[in-house]
Amino acid sequence: MAAAVATNPIAKRSPRNASARHVAAGIILTLAALAAVPAAADDAAVARGAYLAAAAGCDQCHTDSKNKGTPYAGGRKLASEFGVIATPNITPDRATGIGGWSAADFARAMRWGIAPDGTHYVPAFPFPYFARLSDGDLADLKAFLDSLAPVSQPRLDGAESLGLLARARAAIGAALGNASAPPPLAGDAAIARGAYLVAAVGHCGDCHTPRTWLGAPDAGRYLAGSHGGLEGTKAPNITPDPQTGIGKWSEDDVVSLLKEGIEPDGDFVGGPMAEIVRNTARLTDDDRRAVALYLRALPAKVFVRNK
Amino acid sequence: MRSSTKCIALSGLVLALGLYAGVARAADAAAEVDARQAAMKGQGKDMTAIKAYIDGKGELAAARTAGSDLVERIGKVPSLFPKGTSMTDLPGKSYARPVIWTEMDKFNAQAKTAADKAKTLDTALKGGDMNAITTSFGDMGKNGCGGCHEPYREKKPS
Repeated sequence: MAAAVATNPIAKRSPRNASARHVAAGIILTLAALAAVPAAADDAAVARGAYLAAAAGCDQCHTDSKNKGTPYAGGRKLASEFGVIATPNITPDRATGIGGWSAADFARAMRWGIAPDGTHYVPAFPFPYFARLSDGDLADLKAFLDSLAPVSQPRLDGAESLGLLARARAAIGAALGNASAPPPLAGDAAIARGAYLVAAVGHCGDCHTPRTWLGAPDAGRYLAGSHGGLEGTKAPNITPDPQTGIGKWSEDDVVSLLKEGIEPDGDFVGGPMAEIVRNTARLTDDDRRAVALYLRALPAKVFVRNK
Repeated sequence: MRSSTKCIALSGLVLALGLYAGVARAADAAAEVDARQAAMKGQGKDMTAIKAYIDGKGELAAARTAGSDLVERIGKVPSLFPKGTSMTDLPGKSYARPVIWTEMDKFNAQAKTAADKAKTLDTALKGGDMNAITTSFGDMGKNGCGGCHEPYREKKPS
């Protein structure tokens, strides 16, 4: 502290025999500056976390938008392959949200799909993808969620309503899902960034990769299209297969889809992807281009029906 | 005896007519879906032409033609959804969600929103201001086209 006072410009400029008031003012200003340092760091973490939350589309599932619910307060009833799930409240309310969670609780939930009370989430929550998030990004996401206004939203029936078999499947699938190797992150920095955005943050495979019977992503069919998209929709093949995938799309075509929702034929995406485009539209141009570069660098796979 | 023969003949005729009507209706419905999908593809073509101009790959004149064509086409959207043309009526052909017909007022209001946005885009194209064109194009796509596709279209017909 003494060193800090000594380097304080005001304290430095004070004459040697300055009044006690001047010294006190210097100390107070120094203390204020010291207090502001962690706050500024927090603001930066919150801003980075907000960007990651947009890229991940957390609010898409964790908001009951149909009933004008508060963003991130959960309560959206989601038709998944595992039954209807009511999404949880992820605002920092202590009683009904994630307000009481430690950093370790948050990391366990995000990476392993295990709640602080030890129960397992169904893999509709994309923890097999979030397992690849860096420690720093995980901390930033938590900083952002903690910065939200707490909303009291009682937990609706969620995974509790699923059958025992579905939950057992989910638990095993969770363990195996994390064991599967992440997709190769080859190439230059932009492709690596795209890989991280697609395979970790954006969890594109949650819809676009079919699942094994255990509910884990089928690594052999990575992004090759699935009938198990959200709300029971078909999610198309986004590997560069020319017939069933995006092989005929240019890099700009992919960027335009993520920015405006437009497809090469002038069609505009609907269903869950229209909601996702609202978030990908908030990304930087560089990040959208990184996603396009990565998708076009993937090995082409043919879409297989009923997978 | 005579009257019962007549009765059988008559019911046969009614049945045949009924079957014919049913087949004709299904054929009509399929034709309606074809027309609808062609109309939607036409709108997509208009949007592509406008985007080409925005991206510096097309002429303003072509974008303007597309803009007025789009306004005309979008105005007709509500007439493209007669009863009996949902994805449950024609599985594998139609991908229009049945909810359209249970909330027709809401659906028509959404179509009206899209039509208004198309007009704004058309006006911007006529004016020629690139910022206005880009903004109204984005709005048209996301909230006009997307505004209907998000709740009402199951998947894209291939």
